[in-house]
Amino acid sequence: MTLVILRRVLAAAGVLLLISLFTFMIFFWLSPDPAVQICGKTCTPERIDQIREQLGVNLPFWQQYWQFLSGIFTGRTYGEGAAAIECAAPCLGFSFQTNESVTDMIVARMPVSVTLAIGAAVLWLLAGIGGGLLSAVKQGTGWDKAVMISALAGISLPNYFVALLLQYLLVVQLRWLPFPQSVTFAEDPLLWFQSYLMPWLVLAFGYAAMYSRIVRTNVIDTLGQNFMRTAKAKGLDAPVVLRRHALRPSLTPVVTLFGMDFAGLLGGALITETVFGLNGVGKLTADSIAKNDQPVIMGVTLLAAALVVVANMVVDVAYTYLDPRVRVKSA
Amino acid sequence: MSLASPRTISIPVPGATLLEVEHLTVTFPTSAGPVDVVKDASFRVESGDTLGIVGESGSGKSMTSLAIMGLLPRGGTATGSIRLNGHELLGRSDREMRRVRGDKVAMVFQDPLSSLNPYYTVGLQIEEAYRAHNGGSRKNARNVTIEALERVRIADAARRVDHYPHQFSGGMRQRIMIAMALCLEPDLLIADEPTTALDVTVQAQILELLADLQRETGTGMIFITHDLAVVSQVAQDVLVMKDGAHVESGTAEQIFSNPRAPYTRALLEALPRIVDPFDELKGLSR
Repeated sequence: MTLVILRRVLAAAGVLLLISLFTFMIFFWLSPDPAVQICGKTCTPERIDQIREQLGVNLPFWQQYWQFLSGIFTGRTYGEGAAAIECAAPCLGFSFQTNESVTDMIVARMPVSVTLAIGAAVLWLLAGIGGGLLSAVKQGTGWDKAVMISALAGISLPNYFVALLLQYLLVVQLRWLPFPQSVTFAEDPLLWFQSYLMPWLVLAFGYAAMYSRIVRTNVIDTLGQNFMRTAKAKGLDAPVVLRRHALRPSLTPVVTLFGMDFAGLLGGALITETVFGLNGVGKLTADSIAKNDQPVIMGVTLLAAALVVVANMVVDVAYTYLDPRVRVKSA
Repeated sequence: MSLASPRTISIPVPGATLLEVEHLTVTFPTSAGPVDVVKDASFRVESGDTLGIVGESGSGKSMTSLAIMGLLPRGGTATGSIRLNGHELLGRSDREMRRVRGDKVAMVFQDPLSSLNPYYTVGLQIEEAYRAHNGGSRKNARNVTIEALERVRIADAARRVDHYPHQFSGGMRQRIMIAMALCLEPDLLIADEPTTALDVTVQAQILELLADLQRETGTGMIFITHDLAVVSQVAQDVLVMKDGAHVESGTAEQIFSNPRAPYTRALLEALPRIVDPFDELKGLSR
């Protein structure tokens, strides 16, 4: 078991290394010269060279990549002398537009994204699994149709549209909720909850739609399995048959999906955060793209990739506990 | 003995009529109107005896057994009469049938791997069958389970009870299914093609095991198969079915030595025999 986990960790580290290399390559060759950007209107070629040197972008590719990579583990210093800028480990780069280290920028915005992700995840798991189960058990009935039509809406309606619609209905028309404000839980728990409620709902809607369809398919598939017939032939109560024999085989594959989706959200919900003005990693990404602040874009890209890779690993290990067939093969 | 009290221990009387099926018709609705998959089937099983139901795929033999269990797939309806120990089973609610399933009538299915839930140990799957009808502590159910596994000759049963279905071979899995069926000491065991998924040597072991257990417990048995050779080994009485209809029935001896229906003769002729290696192997003409 330990060996299995160790192997997974090593593989994940390898994948992350490759991702960092590719990301770095893309930004190295495809993006405009950051020195020109920083230099602004009153620019001379000498000034550009000076900035290039300070940023370290005058060095060859491998050297720059190495600086970037070692910065993550040991921190790095931009420039020399009195103008030198310290970037402590783990240094994902330095934004010369905001004069902040990318790591600090991300860390400052993480709590919002984490809050958003956890709240939405709770909602979409409840709605998705509940809805999927209901429509599978009541297959072909009005319940089934109601859930599936809602799911269709959830999948096809764009996030920003649902967000605006919800804001219009709940805030403007019905006045059930105040306009979302950025408060922390400690400052005003009620307002905090009210402000997050809409983003949670909007984000959860799309995922719940997808999950309910997947759960429905899985449950219907499981209900048709031979072991379900065996369970009934034993004379078990119908709820026991469903709970014990159908639920676990149907929900185990959902774990994989959930790990990926949740990790993806921790890396920022770009649209939802932007629409609701939530200052999370997603909004940071959107803002940085708008300003072409490359070190930040690269930092969040790498973070998102790392989160997915780690989630993948966690799911793989969790699977060995959830599915006995996997467990024995890997042991 | 009342079916309403599942705890009652029934002592089978040899030769007494255990199951009596009369004019059983199973109907499924289709887009082209209702289709009878079993047409007016009548047969009886005596305590301690084995009835072999023979037929090709689609002959309605599995639907007959599912009708007895009250487990017809959605949309299927059964009419006629199915009496177990004189009590009518047709028309009972699912709740009432649950007490019959497993406890009075148990079933062993064709594919033992897919018939066991891959997520749970075989022990748990046998225990839950026992506890559904007898209650009691998990510890007691576990002891019964280990005993049942020993009875179907699974070596090292006390350890194997905590293993998962995929850790057993095909023949072992079928033994587990049999242990699950027999731990409740049912009056009737329905074995639906129990050896079809197994190779010939394992098949012989399973047949022998079933015969031994039947001798010990006096359980009546319905043995469903497409294989006449298997029927000749296990059954006292034989019912031949085709396209949902009764073709011929009688004692095994009658059917094998003096088949009356042309279809039965065709079935018998289709059996491979190692008498003349150059003899043409006859097929079934539909």
